[in-house]
Amino acid sequence: MWRAYIGVIQKEFRQGLRDRNTLRMLFFMPVIQLLLLGYAIQTDVKHLWLDVYDTDRSELSRKLVASLKAGDYFDVTDMETSGDNAPLWRLDQRFKEGKAEMALVIPEDFARKLETNQPVTVGWIADGTDANAARTGIGYAGQILRQFSSSVIGRQPNVQIRSEFLYNPEAESRFFMVPGIVATLLTMLTLMMTSMSIVRERELGTLEQVLVTPINSVTLLFGKLTTFTIMAMMIMGIALNLGILWFHVPFVGSWAFLIAVSLLYLLTTLGIGMFVSTITSTQQQAMFYAWFFSIFTMLTSGYFTPVANMPIWLQRVTLVNPMRYYIEIIRGIMMKGSGVWDLHLDIMALAIFGVVIFSFSALRFHKRTT
Amino acid sequence: MKKIRFIAQKELYHILRDMRSLIIIFVMPVMMTCLYGYAINMDIEHISLAVIDQDQTVQSRALIERFYRSNYFFPPKYPVNYHDPDQLMRASNAAAVLTIQPGFERAVQTQQAFELGLTIDGSEVSQAAAVQAYASGLLNEYLQDRLPPGTTLPGVRLAQQVLYNEDLESAHFFVPGIVSIILLMVSALLTSITIAREKDTGTLEQLLTAPVSPGQILIGKLLPYIGIAFIDGLLVLGFAKILFSVPFVGSFWLLMAVELIYVATALSIGILVSTMVPTQQLAMQFALLLTMLPSVMLSGFIFAVKNMPVFLQGVSRIVPATYFLKVVRGIMLKGSGFAVLAPQAGFLLILMMIFLLMAVRRFRARIG
Repeated sequence: MWRAYIGVIQKEFRQGLRDRNTLRMLFFMPVIQLLLLGYAIQTDVKHLWLDVYDTDRSELSRKLVASLKAGDYFDVTDMETSGDNAPLWRLDQRFKEGKAEMALVIPEDFARKLETNQPVTVGWIADGTDANAARTGIGYAGQILRQFSSSVIGRQPNVQIRSEFLYNPEAESRFFMVPGIVATLLTMLTLMMTSMSIVRERELGTLEQVLVTPINSVTLLFGKLTTFTIMAMMIMGIALNLGILWFHVPFVGSWAFLIAVSLLYLLTTLGIGMFVSTITSTQQQAMFYAWFFSIFTMLTSGYFTPVANMPIWLQRVTLVNPMRYYIEIIRGIMMKGSGVWDLHLDIMALAIFGVVIFSFSALRFHKRTT
Repeated sequence: MKKIRFIAQKELYHILRDMRSLIIIFVMPVMMTCLYGYAINMDIEHISLAVIDQDQTVQSRALIERFYRSNYFFPPKYPVNYHDPDQLMRASNAAAVLTIQPGFERAVQTQQAFELGLTIDGSEVSQAAAVQAYASGLLNEYLQDRLPPGTTLPGVRLAQQVLYNEDLESAHFFVPGIVSIILLMVSALLTSITIAREKDTGTLEQLLTAPVSPGQILIGKLLPYIGIAFIDGLLVLGFAKILFSVPFVGSFWLLMAVELIYVATALSIGILVSTMVPTQQLAMQFALLLTMLPSVMLSGFIFAVKNMPVFLQGVSRIVPATYFLKVVRGIMLKGSGFAVLAPQAGFLLILMMIFLLMAVRRFRARIG
């Protein structure tokens, strides 16, 4: 029994290491994906293109423009306001050409009104196409204008908010994304490895050959799954360390706790991989199903955008998405140092999914092979 | 002409017979539209905010009520242990904690300086900045309402106006983008398999011995996919209109014209891939890697290109979806005309020529 089990693991490792393409997929892909996504994904809105139409051209209006330029929120273009060359109606044109995202119009009596202690209104026009950028940009503008006003009139509102960002004081989106990338890598790789490896043996007819040896289907299955678990943990180690060393993502919590929870999560993904292998007959089909499933779980997991933003019915759907719980756990452990008690609800959910899905699929697999 | 038609017909039969491909072709666009349209929502609302009120006065309660009555904040769902605010965040029960220290009411009445504490969970990056902005905005409104009636504050005010997407709906931004992703996927993924499949099953030799030229084979094979891509594009546009009421301001025919160039570009990539690899399996992996990942991540579909490192910005310039995205969004949301979009269309055309030339070269070389 034990010898057969060890034998299967040895066979799987040898098979995996022999095949160049598999090796490439296993070790190159995670590294490339992590680097690519780590650099590409920037959820914070910065460097908005702002056209300024300053019809006042006074010292105060220039001061306002300067305060908008400070910081990396806006990239300011100073637009001509007189002559035929750049009248205001070109604003629409600039938006359509994609050369500006926001525009500020400063009225001619800007400085005069401010100096005589009158309220003055400036125009702020935003291209709403990218709703998120527009909303954030308007928010920034409001904040900067408030500060500008109180510095000019020399009076501040008496109650202020002092805010403090925990866990990620610089608001680096990488710190947020890297744990998510690791979770999706783990999901996709184990799903594909499991489903494709079983289907390949069936396609090539080697499944029958193995089963006529003294190895029974349970031993074969567990041998395979053990191999994939070891490989998955290795890949996770590589990806996490890359994230920590290259992107300086913090790791506050406990490694042992993370590994334990990840093993629990693998029960689910390995189970689904097995299930896919029982409903498909070719590797291509298996790959397609595994891929489709990964995309679905990824989008509804809170990996890109918080679950709380989704419509209520979709939020209910996310309750049956195991990755949703795992992402919350891995982010909690890495960034906040959350412990077992903090995450006990998520862990319970993962355990239930893991046990149910795994035993259901294992039974189905057993039935199909005997 | 006739020969091309026959090849096209044969290809169409292949497609219609293969259930699996049919699923990719018609179910995927619908699923993707719904998923991206509903799931990717950048509108940050419904943030769970815990409040520690040490002042316990009429004023502090009024402030809390204002926070919860705005659409942005709601109280945490689970019962909360207020003695340990840190635990609240570690368990992700609250995204922010507002602390009102004693003396708040007195400060509001006597105009003394006072500070409220706001601790924000920075691990949800996109949310954290919004929480800060919303909170200070709400506090400002609250303070202004407490001023004696008739006072006008000096200072600068903002009169804001949003063009093109007045309600700032995220779906209006994402759904048109899906057209570009779906078109690319259908065109590149499916064509990459088609030639590899003929190689796999050994029918490519048979085809070549027939009295048709390689060019005719290529064109004949492409025609059905162009048709399918257009149907898919219309499908997504229809869903965009019905489910998400995305406006369509510009010219439909201009969009179709640019779409033709875009589809041709994607098809060229597909053929290029299929001439490079021996099996369907590899073709599919390659096509996925070359098209899906860059077009979703690097084209500006979700994340703005200008915030990426310079190197990746360079890469995004050779991703066809980058250009088509600007065109779709421009035409649908802003009503941009040809004059404005000509550069994008031009770049697409150049990319298409390059990919097509490479593909035809390789295809010829392999046959010869």
